[in-house]
Amino acid sequence: MSAVPITPPTTPHASVATIARLLAGLLPSSQPVDGGAALEITAPNTQPARLISATVIEGRALRARRVFDAPVVGFSAFLDGTQQSRVACYLPGGIPIVYGTVGAVIRDRRNQRLFTWRHSVEARLYAPRANVSPAVWHSLIESGVAVQDTSETDASDAASDHPHALREAAVHRVQKDREVAEQSLALEWCAREERPLLIDGGISGVDAVARAACAIGVIKSHRTLYASGEPLAAVLGLGYAERSSVFLVTSPKRASVASWYLRIRDSRGHDPMWGLVRVEVAPPAAGGDAGLSRRADEVSRWILAEVAPVALPDGRWDKMVYGVRDCEEFLRAVM
Amino acid sequence: MTDAPQSPDAGEAPLGRVVATERKPNTPHEFHFWTALDSPVGIGTIVRVEGALPVNGQIPMIYGIVVEGFSYTDLQTPIHDMLGHDGTPGGASFGATQRAEIRLYTAAVLRQLPEEPLQPVPMGRVFLADNDDVAVALRMDGYLREGANTGIPIGVYRAGGTDAPIYLDADFLIGPEAAHLNITGVSGLATKTSAIEWILSSIFTHFPAQKGSVAAVCFNVKGPDLCFLDQPGTVDEADAALYEKCGVPVKPFENVQYFAPYKSDGYSLNTLRSNDALLHNVSSLTWGLREVLQYAEVLLNKDDVDAKADALIDFIRERVVDHDFSDPLLGNKRYVVRSFADLEQWFRDVLSALEGKNSDGWRTHHVATIRKVRNRLSNISTRCAGLVTDDGAVSDLPFGSFQDRTVYVIDVASLEEDAQDLIFARVVTRLREHLEKRDLGVNHVVVFVDELNKYAPNDGPDTYVRKMLLDLAERGRYLGLVLFSAQQFRSQVHRRVVGNSGTALYGRMDADELATPGYAVLSPAVKIKLATLEKGQLMVRHPHFTQPIFVRFPRPAVMRGRDGAEQYPQAVDIDLEAAVVRSLRTLDPTITLGWVQQAVGIREEEEIVRARNATLRERPADVRKFFLSQLRSVAATQTVTRPAAAALRSAPADDPYGF
Repeated sequence: MSAVPITPPTTPHASVATIARLLAGLLPSSQPVDGGAALEITAPNTQPARLISATVIEGRALRARRVFDAPVVGFSAFLDGTQQSRVACYLPGGIPIVYGTVGAVIRDRRNQRLFTWRHSVEARLYAPRANVSPAVWHSLIESGVAVQDTSETDASDAASDHPHALREAAVHRVQKDREVAEQSLALEWCAREERPLLIDGGISGVDAVARAACAIGVIKSHRTLYASGEPLAAVLGLGYAERSSVFLVTSPKRASVASWYLRIRDSRGHDPMWGLVRVEVAPPAAGGDAGLSRRADEVSRWILAEVAPVALPDGRWDKMVYGVRDCEEFLRAVM
Repeated sequence: MTDAPQSPDAGEAPLGRVVATERKPNTPHEFHFWTALDSPVGIGTIVRVEGALPVNGQIPMIYGIVVEGFSYTDLQTPIHDMLGHDGTPGGASFGATQRAEIRLYTAAVLRQLPEEPLQPVPMGRVFLADNDDVAVALRMDGYLREGANTGIPIGVYRAGGTDAPIYLDADFLIGPEAAHLNITGVSGLATKTSAIEWILSSIFTHFPAQKGSVAAVCFNVKGPDLCFLDQPGTVDEADAALYEKCGVPVKPFENVQYFAPYKSDGYSLNTLRSNDALLHNVSSLTWGLREVLQYAEVLLNKDDVDAKADALIDFIRERVVDHDFSDPLLGNKRYVVRSFADLEQWFRDVLSALEGKNSDGWRTHHVATIRKVRNRLSNISTRCAGLVTDDGAVSDLPFGSFQDRTVYVIDVASLEEDAQDLIFARVVTRLREHLEKRDLGVNHVVVFVDELNKYAPNDGPDTYVRKMLLDLAERGRYLGLVLFSAQQFRSQVHRRVVGNSGTALYGRMDADELATPGYAVLSPAVKIKLATLEKGQLMVRHPHFTQPIFVRFPRPAVMRGRDGAEQYPQAVDIDLEAAVVRSLRTLDPTITLGWVQQAVGIREEEEIVRARNATLRERPADVRKFFLSQLRSVAATQTVTRPAAAALRSAPADDPYGF
């Protein structure tokens, strides 16, 4: 037993070292981890790269379309979330207790400067309840930090007893919490505001957001491409300020959204994904396809207006708009 | 969900937060804080930090002054910004979002409360210092409290909405602690002279009664700078507000006495303040042999005065001047040497006697030494003509009857260097002698000397004047003799003169001067501020202030030298009779040129000047009578009848040569 008095952290997101000291007191048999790297860095992205055909709803085939008019500032705010998880300690048997923090923020642009509209930061302990004794679980609950069971996942995602698998399950759970945090803020924005909000990522997770005219999702990763064959060539061949035809993204678990690809930087001399983003907006109402092209061009112009200032030194600066980088910097400061 | 704190505490809003990193940690003497982009903080702003956690049961309060500022964005390199705008600078203004930007300041700690234990500055909120904070931060609370009350306002500190008068401690400005003041700054901005005039006004208004009386002796060394201290100047509204804030009345000095030697003609005052309308408080400054001989070493360099010559001068000073002197060599003739003229006669007799006896020495002094000393001493009255009189007439400062709150200005601006040196040396020495004996008439005297680069340089020969200034700076404060000095380049003034100045003021500085080692303690930002100070701004260092403070001071309520010279032009050179009229009219306005012309008649110029000087010195009730009494009487004119010429005898009628 440590001679240091055990006190729960006073802030909702204490440092992992504080949590490790706390758990060392509560769980004497645990093995604390000193200075471990963030799991988001060490955990490989297991999502497979894939091509999916999508239903084109603008014209008959997916092809490149020039965004003719000049970029124009349209977004009023930016939403992004981040997560950070580290192993605080290992229980006997290599069972990781992960300390995860998720945060999300909406940064409101006023007079060209960004201010916090709302933000949230939450920290939890992530542990597989099925793999620990009731006494240990009880000790975790007593720590004063919210505890999340990582074994409460779908049967298909059930974690094995392998410590890496348990760790990945924890990371996935943190990721879900982060998405929830982002969605909560997006919902609140859509309920209160009508001004356009740029969301870093998709908007199909929540119906109300996916249907809101003010929510525009901008996806930077392209593990899944909604084109194959000739349309894929058209997408990858998009030039600067060109967009693809609008298509419909549907999923059994998610809301349907209208989407298109947009090249926001000249990719000559770079890989085909350079400067390529996928945009998600609310799908047109039935019979509303007439305004679809105009809407896609308008939103594309808004996004093109965000290429300056560049989001350097972030490595994804070719696809990332500065407002999103600002959200990440803010969350880095407060988490 | 954790909402960001959107509103500050009710009441005073913080303007910044203390930050510290491993690379840029806070220390007990320095801390860093950031502010909003539109905060009123700048270099020289005084701030207050409130610690978050109590130490020994007391919330730490730290007072600091901003000495450096930084601003940066989240850009990693400038090229990123260039890339973001495709290399077109004009595109920068079309950026949809301004980059995140920070204003980060470094502040030097002025004071920590509690003072023990002295700890690094904690994280906390930063507030703009208000008037009370400024007083505490600068430790002015110690001498502004009831009972002490030795504060002398020097100006107003301004930042944000704060408008706080800054006080110097009279004990540390006038003595007995620290004492002395030095001001430096580039020439031509009227800052140095104006600041001294303002501070003297402030001292005369606020000098604490319990410390006694104070007067000032100012040497006017250039132009008309100090020639119109008793004439009102123009003060605008902003300056009037500063006067009110500092509790100093907007008016010129009430009691000013001017002193100036004559020109070489012996009767025209050698000053720019010679206009008839201003002569009522101008007196001549003339010294005779006795006054000068004590300071012969001021005028005679080491080549002149070797040990042998020095011995003879000592002999003359102690045995001849003002003594009843006789010697067998001189036929036991009795000599009373009181003037240069008397001394010249004495030398002439000694040398004649030696030549007559064909001797080459007298009383251990070689004849060559006697000739050399005669030559050098006789030459003084020529070199310092107008100041030194042949006839021994003396018109001097009123040593022994100095008046409280009076400025005595000695105009040496138009004098030769030798004469200036003699005046500095003698006046300061006399002030010191009288203050030592406590019979000067006042308890404290402020001596203002400008152009220390000339009079007390850190290199060059070790002159008597420099020695005198050093002595004043090092020992004056015990006597109540305080040196206020000014120069353009502080780095080129003798270190002990400026080093002994407890209070130092800095006006706008030259960049070259700021690059010298003496300014290494100042941050680059403070140096930049010093190099760009406006008129009427000063940086102040004072023993109670742990860091320099920037203040504003009002324009002095006296007429500027240049304005005075225009409004009261210098009197044109006039003949002797007119000069006598001008002088005597200050005593008796009814005196006319006709009366003077009739009075002096065809007398020698020397005699007329002597009579005029005696009258001015005596200031008699009946000026006419006294003046006439000083003129040698002239024998009354007599009518001489011409004897009638005898008639010539007529020629005989038969004179063959008659016609």
